[in-house]
Amino acid sequence: MLKINNLNAKIEKKTILNNFSLNINPGEVHAIMGPNGSGKSTLSNILSGKKGYEVTGEILFENKNLFELETEERAHKGIFLAFQYPLEIPGVNTNIFLKTSLNAIRRAKGEKELDAIEFLNLVKEKAKNLKFDEEKLNRQLNVGFSGGEKKKNEILQMSILNPKLSILDETDSGLDIDALRVVADGVNALRKKNNSFLIITHYQRLLDYIKPDFVHVLINGKITKSGGPELALELEKKGYENFN
Amino acid sequence: MREQLLTDFDKIISDSKFSNNDIEHKRKSLNKFIENGFPTKKNEDWKFLDIGRIIDKNIGQLDFYNNYSSQNKIDTSIFVKGLEHNKIVFVNGRIEKIDLKHEENNKIEIKEESKSINKFNNINSLINLNNALTNKHYTITTKSGYSLKKPLIIYHSTTNSIYKKNINLRLDFKLEKNSSLKLIDYFYDDSNDNFLNIFYSFDLAKDSILKNYKIDHKDNKNLKYSYNHIDQSENSLSETFILSSGSSYLKHEINCNLNEKYSSAFVNGILKLDDLKNHEIKTNINHLNENTKSYQLVKSVLGKASKAAYQGKISVNSIAQKTDGYQLSKCILLDKTSEFNAKPELEIYADDVKCSHGSASGSLNEDSIFYLMSRGLNYEQSKELLINGFLLDVIEKITDSETKNLIKNTLGLKE
Ligand SMILES: Nc1ncnc2c1ncn2[C@@H]1O[C@H](COP(=O)(O)OP(=O)(O)O)[C@@H](O)[C@H]1O
Ligand SMILES: [Mg+2]
Repeated sequence: MLKINNLNAKIEKKTILNNFSLNINPGEVHAIMGPNGSGKSTLSNILSGKKGYEVTGEILFENKNLFELETEERAHKGIFLAFQYPLEIPGVNTNIFLKTSLNAIRRAKGEKELDAIEFLNLVKEKAKNLKFDEEKLNRQLNVGFSGGEKKKNEILQMSILNPKLSILDETDSGLDIDALRVVADGVNALRKKNNSFLIITHYQRLLDYIKPDFVHVLINGKITKSGGPELALELEKKGYENFN
Repeated sequence: MREQLLTDFDKIISDSKFSNNDIEHKRKSLNKFIENGFPTKKNEDWKFLDIGRIIDKNIGQLDFYNNYSSQNKIDTSIFVKGLEHNKIVFVNGRIEKIDLKHEENNKIEIKEESKSINKFNNINSLINLNNALTNKHYTITTKSGYSLKKPLIIYHSTTNSIYKKNINLRLDFKLEKNSSLKLIDYFYDDSNDNFLNIFYSFDLAKDSILKNYKIDHKDNKNLKYSYNHIDQSENSLSETFILSSGSSYLKHEINCNLNEKYSSAFVNGILKLDDLKNHEIKTNINHLNENTKSYQLVKSVLGKASKAAYQGKISVNSIAQKTDGYQLSKCILLDKTSEFNAKPELEIYADDVKCSHGSASGSLNEDSIFYLMSRGLNYEQSKELLINGFLLDVIEKITDSETKNLIKNTLGLKE
């Protein structure tokens, strides 16, 4: 599904990703663990098409060159990024935004757009599953949301958009154990044989709830070790210093 | 210009029925105008919108005389739909229709009179021009205790049969005790290169409420000046909202005197410009008595080499204790070619007051655009969503919900 070959990324002449390669097949869950500043968010941003990086290498998504696609086209093709720091968008109603987003993607896929009632039913069901306070959906997007609410809102969007590849950039940071469970339930509900996940975290604890198929250690923009779920536990014990 | 003015003035006077006194007064105003000419940026008040230069460069010789003897056809398709309203329709400066069908008889009155013709001397050069050249003076009175059931929309429409004309228009509004008036000025231009000079005065008696909404949204290449003078008595309230977008050049001036205690003034506005347009809102709020309040919020979105300015002045008289004065301006510059100028001024002579002002401008946040695009919206949609979101809080200040919807629709904001 996703093939990253020798990806290099620079900002202002500083190398951030260094010969980074990764392969994700349909249905797989990959975890990337790395210390602060190792390039995790940079990787997520590049996968979603953020501008401002100098990149070389290759990224294929379902055998299509990602660099040829704009950010919104990647979303249409099924790439979703749960932001580490979701943005506050004043004056934009959360529900209206969600509906606009869902229908933009459905339209691009040639599916019928949902009307107001269909959308409301869908969003109600998803919000309930995530124990997301429905009243918040009538507020301005992320404005006045707590850190945890913002993260849950990302997972709500993911559930509604039902992407093929979900990238979760430190969605677990700052969440209490209940919220963490809810987030994990959201991910697990979407786990199907064709949906893949790239879960970025620097704590092992999320991985107790979402069992990854593969774990990779990212240090200084490079994968220094890959393995199964046991690698996360080892990392927790020994610390990143021992994986350089 | 002088020769043209003098001949056109004589034509206007010979068409009209002014008394000798009125004519004398108008001639004085004309001479004052001839002495000073159109204001230019040499005058501090006009440094952001140099009307003298705009006329020289874009219009050239103006014609000051309009033949009002023949009727203009009204294009009824311009009328606002989905909102029941009373109307006064100006076409090319001539009143073509007065329709107050939603109101009780004798509760709102329109009279042709020139009683206050002498009242506003030397406010500025353009008001002198207005005083000199208006061919009629109307007074619109809302009677004591009466609230209009429906808004009154004044259509200021122009057609392409006028070109390089100066049109001057004057209306005096009287709101008697405990009355209320919702007034919408709706500009609709099918003409170019004209100069419209509109002067309103409002006299708000005790406990009266004025809501004046101005909508200039249709693209046109005219130059407009709109001056509101507002006098407020005890516990009266004025709310002004300006949507300024359509004309090439437009300056709004609000001069508001909070003469008596517990009177309050709200001025909110949107300057949404592109294509080299240049607009300005200038306010002058005079707190002249105790416990008076003013609130102003102006939001601008500027692109394609457009320019906007907001000059907001709050003056607090030494006896105006417990004044509450607030103004804020925010601007989004969509590109490097656009320019916003804010010139806030506080002039405070009382000690027990609460006054503040603030101003911020910046570009659209690219990270926010990336966030929205990552959810499947394209660049244009994302930009529009952010701009509409930015404008929402000032639109929410509109207290009349029907007008709020009208303005939302005009701006293409969907519910
Ligand atoms: N816009 C930027 N300009 C300059 N340096 C940046 C920028 N974004 C990230 N970096 C640098 O790139 C490195 C990786 O950042 P990031 O991808 O955010 O790391 P992580 O998400 O793993 O904490 C850090 O050293 C950071 O300072
Ligand atoms: Mg990060």
